[in-house]
Amino acid sequence: MAEVDVRGFSCPVPLMRTKKALESDPEKITVLVDSGTAKANVVNLLKDSSYQVTVEETAEGWTITGTKS
Amino acid sequence: MGPSAWIFGAAGAFIGVVAAWLVSQGNPGNMGLCIACFLRDTTGFFGGAKANMGAVAYIRPEIIGLILGAAIAAFATKEFRPRGGSGTLLRFVLGFIFMVSALIFLGCTVRAWLRLGGGDLNALYGVAGIIVGVSIGAVFLKNGYNLGRSKRLPAPLGWLGVLLAVVLLGLALASASGTAPNGFTVTKAKAFATGTTPPAVFLKGPDGTPSKILKPDGAMLAPDGSIVGADGAVVASAEAVAKAKPQPGGKRAPIAISLVAGLVLGTVAQRSRFCSIGGIRDVVLVKRFDLLFGVIGLLVGAFVANVALGQFNLGFENQPIAHTDALGNFAAMAVAGLAAVMLGGCPFRQVIMSGEGDADAFAAVLGMAAGAFVAHWQGIASSAKGLSQLGWPALAVMAVVLVAIALIKRERAA
Repeated sequence: MAEVDVRGFSCPVPLMRTKKALESDPEKITVLVDSGTAKANVVNLLKDSSYQVTVEETAEGWTITGTKS
Repeated sequence: MGPSAWIFGAAGAFIGVVAAWLVSQGNPGNMGLCIACFLRDTTGFFGGAKANMGAVAYIRPEIIGLILGAAIAAFATKEFRPRGGSGTLLRFVLGFIFMVSALIFLGCTVRAWLRLGGGDLNALYGVAGIIVGVSIGAVFLKNGYNLGRSKRLPAPLGWLGVLLAVVLLGLALASASGTAPNGFTVTKAKAFATGTTPPAVFLKGPDGTPSKILKPDGAMLAPDGSIVGADGAVVASAEAVAKAKPQPGGKRAPIAISLVAGLVLGTVAQRSRFCSIGGIRDVVLVKRFDLLFGVIGLLVGAFVANVALGQFNLGFENQPIAHTDALGNFAAMAVAGLAAVMLGGCPFRQVIMSGEGDADAFAAVLGMAAGAFVAHWQGIASSAKGLSQLGWPALAVMAVVLVAIALIKRERAA
């Protein structure tokens, strides 16, 4: 289980930090984002890395959860 | 190739086609869409002749449309979020530097690809510069450069971009008749200017000869085809009059077309997250290729549409609003590319994000406007003849400032 909080960061920091967290090949990863662009980029990255992705809207932005499929 | 690559590619191609089409509707050559040029022209409306912007004074409705289109799309998808506070002042500086270097190249990172898609081979040096500048930026990012987190802001601060667009829309409509409101400047539609200083500015009649002399005041057309001032001295020879070039600010698509095109492109850009530098950055930095298809699509779309519209003109010489200084083109786009990476996205993205409630992106847009004002006022901007005397010194200073910012804003434990 990995958790990444990239809220407030400009591109490409959300992508870089998520990618770094994926290096340990976690079964499950949670990424907190607060911009539509970061959300889309992280979702694409997780899908391309064979994760099943769910996105939940929160008061602070979105919580993206990826589970190894 | 995942679905996101197709989305970026299609969005880029669509933007390229619309940009080429806007040229056929009256926008300057290979400048159907140029964020730097259009923000500069919009600044010219306020700066006018005092800031040497008389030839580039026109509120580009495309800019208004981009901001409002992005805002509408962001609202519809619940992505409008007032936010800011991530190095806001530095973003102003980065926007400033981006603009000044874009005006040394003569176009932003979007127009570099559009120029190439129109056959302007000088843009090859610009694109090479973008690749180098972006790669340097990627090294900084890898070493922990970032401007920190933005935070949620009170709602009014998120509306600054939309407010600016609405104010500009009001001013654009007020000057739609061709006469600017008092204190503002609008380049006359289809005006031509001679290269002499001070230039003679005139409108052309159907036979190609001057039909109305706009500048200097009181000047007249002499029987031999030259333009003679009120004091009887020749302002421009007949040869200069025949060689006169259209003023960029006077070349424009009808306001309704520009506005609607801007709205559509703003929506497409907001939804697709198209970026003119992000593709190269992601390839260098995280080995992701999908965003790269955005600029590939842009290039292909512009190329195909330019060929179809008979606007394609391959070569180095006589390209519209361009110069042939290869090293200058390369260096200017390298500085611009680095500034754009340090901002987190190209100027197109900054305009779109300022419509999404991002006050930091709005600061970058203001910085670009300030950069345009200074670049023209101080004569740093290039002309068709090449770089100005201040071009190289300005690039050197800006490169040093960028490196300094990158080193200061380094987060070691990244």
